[in-house]
Amino acid sequence: MTKSRKEIIGIKSVSKIYNLGNTVVKALDNVSLSIFENDFISIMGPSGSGKSTLMNIIGCLDVPTKGSYKFNDEKISQMKDSQLADIRNQKIGFVFQTFNLLPKLNALQNVEVPLVYSNLNRYKRTEKAKEALKIVGLSNRINHKPNELSGGQRQRVAIARALVNNPSIILADEPTGNLDSKSGSEILNFFDDLHKAGNTLIIVTHEKTVAKRAKRRIEIFDGKITLDE
Amino acid sequence: MNRVINYLLDVVRGVLFYFSQTKLRTALTLLGITVGVSSIIAIMTVLATFEKSTEQVVADVRTNVFYITRENPIEVSFGNNNKWARNKPKITWSEYEQLKRSLKLTKNMSAVVAEEPSDRTFSVGKKEFKSRLQSFWAADGDMLSLYKYDIVDGRNIQNVDIQNRSRVAIIGSAIKDELFPYANPVGKEIKIDNIPFEIIALTDEKGEIAGQSMDSMVGIPISTYLKYFGGRWNRTDLQLVLESDSIENIENATDEAIGVFRAIRKIPPGQPNNFYIATNDQLMDTFGEFTSYLTTFIGLITGISLLVAGIGIANIMLVSLNERIKEIGIRKALGARRSDIFMQFLIEAILISVLGGLVGIVLGLSFGNIVALFLEQEPVIPYEWVLYSLQICASMGIIFGLYPAIKASKLNPIDSMRFD
Ligand SMILES: Nc1ncnc2c1ncn2[C@@H]1O[C@H](COP(=O)(O)OP(=O)(O)OP(=O)(O)O)[C@@H](O)[C@H]1O
Ligand SMILES: [Mg+2]
Repeated sequence: MTKSRKEIIGIKSVSKIYNLGNTVVKALDNVSLSIFENDFISIMGPSGSGKSTLMNIIGCLDVPTKGSYKFNDEKISQMKDSQLADIRNQKIGFVFQTFNLLPKLNALQNVEVPLVYSNLNRYKRTEKAKEALKIVGLSNRINHKPNELSGGQRQRVAIARALVNNPSIILADEPTGNLDSKSGSEILNFFDDLHKAGNTLIIVTHEKTVAKRAKRRIEIFDGKITLDE
Repeated sequence: MNRVINYLLDVVRGVLFYFSQTKLRTALTLLGITVGVSSIIAIMTVLATFEKSTEQVVADVRTNVFYITRENPIEVSFGNNNKWARNKPKITWSEYEQLKRSLKLTKNMSAVVAEEPSDRTFSVGKKEFKSRLQSFWAADGDMLSLYKYDIVDGRNIQNVDIQNRSRVAIIGSAIKDELFPYANPVGKEIKIDNIPFEIIALTDEKGEIAGQSMDSMVGIPISTYLKYFGGRWNRTDLQLVLESDSIENIENATDEAIGVFRAIRKIPPGQPNNFYIATNDQLMDTFGEFTSYLTTFIGLITGISLLVAGIGIANIMLVSLNERIKEIGIRKALGARRSDIFMQFLIEAILISVLGGLVGIVLGLSFGNIVALFLEQEPVIPYEWVLYSLQICASMGIIFGLYPAIKASKLNPIDSMRFD
């Protein structure tokens, strides 16, 4: 079954090495990974094992120190800034572990940001952003700034922002970490729907129950992939 | 095209929104620019007013008039006199008489002594004129018409007065107002350094020109002045006021005067004149030169003050740099291209600095024109400086505003999001 699907992300012998004076940190150590269309992957591993680093590279936010990364058969290292920007804007929805909301903007404006860079007019933008906030259950908080929201609510704004542009690939770095089990499972149900609709999902999590929902499980330890099933 | 306009409107809207979210920072930045610009504009407005008012003074005096003096009066009054000029001989009465006999192209000529201001006492009975007198002058010709005073009551100085060295005086309206508030001064007595003079005329009110009262004035015959106040005859430095018969003839008349005066002083050919001769045009030129120095100097000072304001702005912008870099990182992670970031920051920087500049220009123009109002001048707008200020503002905004954008564009999104 896997063979019939298209490889959209091809990572070959990728390392991410941080050189901090006298210590060298190998956040990723010679990792190879293929991700196919409509994959639903969970990534687990202890803190500091390199999960976020891997996600950032997959999401075209960071560049590897060594190795090659192909997105849709095109080498990332050979792409122009504007091409990368368009991939981040159109193809990938990223839920950051630390949310990364803009503190001066309210929830609605935060969710609108990706749409600003996809040439939608204002009315369409607001409409789509409201819709995304509705999905995460925050219709009653659209005018709140991040510091007027709870941790779980911020996380849901971040999820709405990742989904608003209908990306085909969703990268979520601990998307339910701050949510109670009820709203957490609502989000996960929604992720299931996205998967059924043909999207590709990669979710970093510490929880086994979350990982069980995924169709493919990856474990990382010390910057190396130790399990892929 | 529509898309571009739509996009630009979005950016402007976003920027205005950003300002509303960072009121204090925006206000401080505006303040810096405003202070710099308003000081430039205010000074330039005052200067333009000043220039205009002096042009008016010179234009008030007839243009077929020229002067011979010991040294350039404008250079002297602005403290620019060199040693050589001080060593020039004073113009004496006998030189004046010789010159008067020989000049053919000069229709009118008078010798003038002017104490401006005068430290002498002017009193009536026991009452003394309190402020310093702006102008105590003595002449042998028709000074009044030369300086466009009209006699309200009484008669002008006449040849008999000069021949007899009569103790007669003409007074300006400021003297009357203070010393004869309720009476007609003509025919009354005024004491100058305790020497009694008969007042023969009162002149009309002229008001102020360039902050100097034209009515704080007393005039007497030159012969009388030399007798009572001149000390030894050749000690008094005369100023000669000459008038050619027409404006067209003024150059020939000036040349003749120079030639004759050199002959009188026996200056060998090739030596420079040891006196100063000027037409109104030349006086205007000298003045123009002086103001252009002043403009450069003031421009320099205000340029520096603007730079200091700019450093203030840079400081404020740098304080928010990390925050901005973080914002840029997030926006890039969500799909902003480098050009989007540049556009946002460029427009933001220009908007804030031009906005500050406009406020500064309005404040500066108001302040400068209030000064103009006090000098009784028409309002002026130093257009070029308005333009310069806007340019300076815009470029300052670009330099200081784009710095974080340039810095952040060199980082990948993750590194900028982590920046702190
Ligand atoms: N900018 C950096 N400079 C130096 N070291 C870094 C940097 N970013 C990450 N690291 C190191 O790389 C390693 C992997 O970090 P990463 O954020 O990928 O961990 P993680 O698996 O996401 O952990 P967690 O579950 O706690 O989020 C860590 O040891 C971390 O210290
Ligand atoms: Mg992590």
